Amino acid sequence: MTLTTLLLLAAALIGIGIYGALSQQSFVMLMMGLELILNGVMLAAVAFWAFSGAGAPEGQLLTIIVMAVMAIEMAMGFALVVAVFRGKQADMTESLTGLKH
Amino acid sequence: MLLSELILPVLMVMFMLTVGAYVVAVLDRLIAGAFGAPQAGRVWLAPMARGAWLMTQHANATEAPDWQAWRLAPALYLALAAIGLAVVPWSESLVATDLVTSVVLWGSVEALATVVIFLHGWSANALLALIGGYRYVALGLSYILISMFVLIGVALPAESLQFTQVVASQEALWNVIRQPLGLPLFLIVGLGMTFWGPLNLADSKDLAGGTASEISGPPRLVWDVARAAMLVAFSGVAASAFLGGWMGPWLPGPLWVAIKMLAVLLVLLLLGRVLPRIAPERCVTLMWVVLLPLSFIDLVWAGIGALL
Amino acid sequence: MNHGIGIDITFLSLATLAVVTGWRVFRTDSMVRASFFLLVSFIAVGVIMILLAAEYLGVAMFFMMAVEMTVMALFMVMFMMNPAGLNPMNMVHQERISIGAGIVGFLVLGAMALLAAFPDQPVSADLEPVRSLGNEMLGDSMLIFESAGIVLLTTMIGVVVLSSHRGRYGAAAVGSLPPGLEPGGDPAGKPEEKDEDEEGGGHHHH
Repeated sequence: MTLTTLLLLAAALIGIGIYGALSQQSFVMLMMGLELILNGVMLAAVAFWAFSGAGAPEGQLLTIIVMAVMAIEMAMGFALVVAVFRGKQADMTESLTGLKH
Repeated sequence: MLLSELILPVLMVMFMLTVGAYVVAVLDRLIAGAFGAPQAGRVWLAPMARGAWLMTQHANATEAPDWQAWRLAPALYLALAAIGLAVVPWSESLVATDLVTSVVLWGSVEALATVVIFLHGWSANALLALIGGYRYVALGLSYILISMFVLIGVALPAESLQFTQVVASQEALWNVIRQPLGLPLFLIVGLGMTFWGPLNLADSKDLAGGTASEISGPPRLVWDVARAAMLVAFSGVAASAFLGGWMGPWLPGPLWVAIKMLAVLLVLLLLGRVLPRIAPERCVTLMWVVLLPLSFIDLVWAGIGALL
Repeated sequence: MNHGIGIDITFLSLATLAVVTGWRVFRTDSMVRASFFLLVSFIAVGVIMILLAAEYLGVAMFFMMAVEMTVMALFMVMFMMNPAGLNPMNMVHQERISIGAGIVGFLVLGAMALLAAFPDQPVSADLEPVRSLGNEMLGDSMLIFESAGIVLLTTMIGVVVLSSHRGRYGAAAVGSLPPGLEPGGDPAGKPEEKDEDEEGGGHHHH
């Protein structure tokens, strides 16, 4: 369990998250991709805190703030999904063509 | 080191779970008998007889359930009860996991219980089970909030999130007296979290058994044992957080913890038999409008008490 | 930090669990299972954090992610067409680009992990992470903490406003018409009936 292996694991999670966020047509699955990206980011932050940061408290604080941001993003994302569904009966990204050129 | 750190705590927790589940079943039948329900057979043998009978029954199948989740959910609930019981300190040094953040671990047990009960209701692919699971999730979020505020109030005088420290801080005065709102709120949370009695919305009679309406045989046995085990784990946490844990005069520490757990179990089972079930809509109003502000007041009280 | 072989084995199994369940999230047919696979991935990462001596963060991960993934599962059931996975489903678009982007992201970050020289200042064994986090949050970083709280409150209010049935001019069922069942179609619900009996004939009221 060295810093390198932890960062590789975080990179893998972020890579899977990018795949999910870009490839999924449904809003909720897209958000799950974003959650995976944030998961990888949090793991990387804690790995840096444990190995390179000498346990400076700002590392843990960053992780807690990212957790709070995750909750905020999920809440607002679901509210927007509900609002879009009520307005346009749309549950896939393909149905939202208003800004299409 | 492997023996004392891994095997002994696991054995301790398993022993307490089996004994505790048996005691819960017996106590429930005794209380039901005291209230006039007819008893079939002797009270002390009845849980064993029912367990043996359930083991021989056929495990029911519905149409296209989520097999892995359905069969795993009772076992996962039992595992969560075991984790909850593992944080209860039996004396200053006898505790299965002395994690620094054991109060938050108990909170995560409550949150993961929501997941498991929803899975149990969802994966049966049956209507009443699904309704039971949804009802539990709708109210489970409110219990978790109230329980965390009450437990933060308990952790404040201890200046630590460790249950051993929480118990040690009650040397002068038990938390049930020092924070009077805490134990009643926590007992209500316990009834809700283990969906027992008045707050039994997940497995209620009006849903013909709710999340347990489609299971029979060995899965049903594991589910019933898991529910009793979660009651035991909850009573252990309540005894440590509010009733002073291992503290008491002549008897040894672990015996005091067992006596206090028994007292909390008696109160919970009595309330389960005496109070009628609350309708879900009223429950939501009750939780968010009455009990949550009360838990805030309890937290402020605990904060003022810690500052003075 | 020197870890024993037990911790390394635990870490490797948790790492594979996190990556495999993270990948299964996007490959499974059942939507509820997808959100709970994501929960398992989060729990694996939480246990790794506990192994790294960040005890509060790991347990807080279990706690928060359990409830968040349950809410996500509920939204899956609400908005997705195949929540139980009884039919196979593959709703993806621009799949090659996204696989490419994922692999490029992993390679870039992995290259940074392998090639960059990070300082070696391990956390000391006598650090109490919970105590130091608490002192930091309520001491020097109190402003960050408080503003995060205010942002959470704003989010709660915003979410309720966005998803509420009440608009500025009253409840939704009173003054407005619901959207159509097809885009651009007639409003859903009963069509308004023209009362023709009231126009002709009948008694006039003075």
